[in-house]
Amino acid sequence: MPSKTIHIIFITVISGLAWVISFPLNEWFSDTMPRHQLLQLPAMLLLGILAGLRYSRLIPIRFPWDVALLIFIMASLVFWMLPRSIDTAVIHPAFNRLMHVTMLAAGFLTITVLRQTIFEIRIAFMAMVSVMVFVTGMTLVTFNILLCSSFNIDQQKETGLRLLITGMFFAAGTLFTFFSGLGKKT
Amino acid sequence: MLQLSPLEIKKNRTFIKVWTITFLIVFPLLIVLGLLMRLNQGEEINLGMDKFYVLMTLHGLGMAGLLFSTSFAALWYLIGTRHVKLNLGIGYLVYFLILIGVIGLAYATLLGKFGAGWYLLYPLPFKNAIWPAWSTGLSIVSLIILGVAWLLGMLHVLYVLAKEYGGLTNLLGWQYLGKKEVKKELPPIVMITTISLIPGVIAYLAGAVFLVMFLMQFFEPTLTFNMLLMKNLIFFFGHTLVNITLYCCLGWVYALLPEYTGRKWVTNKVLVYAWNATFFFIIFAYFHHLYMDFAQPLGLQYAGQLASYFSAVPATAVSMFGVITQVYHSKIKWGIVPLSFLIGVGGWAVGGFAAVIDATISVNLVFHNTMWVPGHFHTYMLGGVVLFIFGFFFYLSHTREEQEKDISGKAGFWLFVLGAHCFIATFYTGGVNSIPRRYADYKGIPIESTHLIGAFLARLAAICIIIVIIGFLIMTFAILVKLIRKRVAITEPVQNS
Ligand code: HEM
Repeated sequence: MPSKTIHIIFITVISGLAWVISFPLNEWFSDTMPRHQLLQLPAMLLLGILAGLRYSRLIPIRFPWDVALLIFIMASLVFWMLPRSIDTAVIHPAFNRLMHVTMLAAGFLTITVLRQTIFEIRIAFMAMVSVMVFVTGMTLVTFNILLCSSFNIDQQKETGLRLLITGMFFAAGTLFTFFSGLGKKT
Repeated sequence: MLQLSPLEIKKNRTFIKVWTITFLIVFPLLIVLGLLMRLNQGEEINLGMDKFYVLMTLHGLGMAGLLFSTSFAALWYLIGTRHVKLNLGIGYLVYFLILIGVIGLAYATLLGKFGAGWYLLYPLPFKNAIWPAWSTGLSIVSLIILGVAWLLGMLHVLYVLAKEYGGLTNLLGWQYLGKKEVKKELPPIVMITTISLIPGVIAYLAGAVFLVMFLMQFFEPTLTFNMLLMKNLIFFFGHTLVNITLYCCLGWVYALLPEYTGRKWVTNKVLVYAWNATFFFIIFAYFHHLYMDFAQPLGLQYAGQLASYFSAVPATAVSMFGVITQVYHSKIKWGIVPLSFLIGVGGWAVGGFAAVIDATISVNLVFHNTMWVPGHFHTYMLGGVVLFIFGFFFYLSHTREEQEKDISGKAGFWLFVLGAHCFIATFYTGGVNSIPRRYADYKGIPIESTHLIGAFLARLAAICIIIVIIGFLIMTFAILVKLIRKRVAITEPVQNS
């Protein structure tokens, strides 16, 4: 198949999936906190990552832009985990779509930057993201007051528990990347 | 041997000069904080509780951070001029991030009155703290910045070494354990660096977790985390950081001492087994900080005692035995550098032994949170790490002949050692007499004899500290005169027979 056709198919599939998640399924995803935070948000991130896997090499990113972009990605993740942002996103679909666009961009940039940046920054970033996810999970599990008025406390705790486990997996992934990076011979 | 251009050598020297001067400026300031604390405990001045704890926090955090950073910088310099090329851009990035972190901490403590102690004593900063909330926030952010700086530095050194020596297993020296001939010799400094820094990276992860948890609670003060979990995370981070500071210094003792004794000190099976065992024990020894926490599972308490005992044996015994075999009948000329290393190893041995005593559960029941605790860690920090650092500075600034003939430098050194050990002895004596640690003064202790002994020892300590400061100033003068006037001595290893 000619490569132009493959590009078109790929972009159509990614855009189509993003549209389905963001429009027809939006109400379903916004119904509970785990669906919103653990399915919709990561799904968008994943679509961004898939696009990044394919096109990241087209965009050369060098120091200090890599660091600047990683800070942007980190800030986006933090912003979209804040209770106020989550509440607003659930209430106003347009605001939720802003989250979708940001997550698509964050996913795309994550893979683009991580592929090109130096080992040290890659590991430091992965470590910080794992820690952030883990601690957010811990906070949601520990906290007995409802943080997002759109959901309920059980959903909050369930989301927390799953984030906690995800954080552990991320940390294991970071250590794996770290040790395999050291293990590679020149 | 690494080939460097004159420009690269010059750049590396400038880098280490920056670190040397930073240490020589910051270290005495932190000593003065210690002096003020002891004067307050001796009832010679009246700081008030709030100021005492501010000084204690800045002193503890500052000293632990400064010594680790300087040990790491020296290791960086020796590795970067002898074994692999390191990226000085990253080196300076680390330096400036550390500077930002330190300024933040100084601001939060001195102006914001943050006084929770060097391991932050969770949940103290959030429960009726007498300092404003912003200073807690600033301290946490500053510590996160420091952590990121150290992490970047450690990752860089490890990564470059791994590329040069063919992967992690080779860095750990495992090629020496097989039957095959070793193709590329592994210098002990490289193996020790690896074994120090990998636990450092893992400890950093734990450190980042508790710091971000602190940050969450800072934003949402009604949150409360599991205190035992927090304490485990904090001590895993803090204890590992202090441990690897010592090991970083040992790295350069292994590299530099042979230049004075003329004897080789190479990697072999014994060294590999010993240091790899340390790699394991270093991670579990911190449990001895939690003996008083009844909620900690009993098994972990025993694990803590065993790991503390075992961690003392391999690297310590092997390194000390190594130092003795290096100097015994070696016709060494006792210039200030080997002298610092030898006396430093002595401090390490004494402090380590005092630590093992305190890590014995039955003894800890009595010694816990008495002055014995600052006694043991000041022995291997002030009487060990600081002497190693001075040895390194003299190595940098003085030629071999100057090292042997510098009378003033040696006089300063002996004054420092004398003052330091007498000062430390006041801690041990305090511990044996049940004087509690972290008391701004002892006036409130209802047992009058304890109050009087505590105050008397503190006054005695203040005199010793003044001797330490005089010794320090003499050594600093000797180093700075040579360092500024002259090019730094080239650190090429002598080829020993
Ligand atoms: C002459 C030099 C020094 C003096 C005069 C000094 C003095 C003191 C004093 C008086 C205390 C409070 C003890 C108590 O009542 O609990 C203290 C605590 C401490 N010192 Fe030093 N010290 C010196 C060197 C060092 C060094 C080299 C380190 C390196 C790590 C260090 C790290 C600490 C730490 C971590 C604490 C505990 C702080 C806390 O409990 O939060 N000190 N020091």
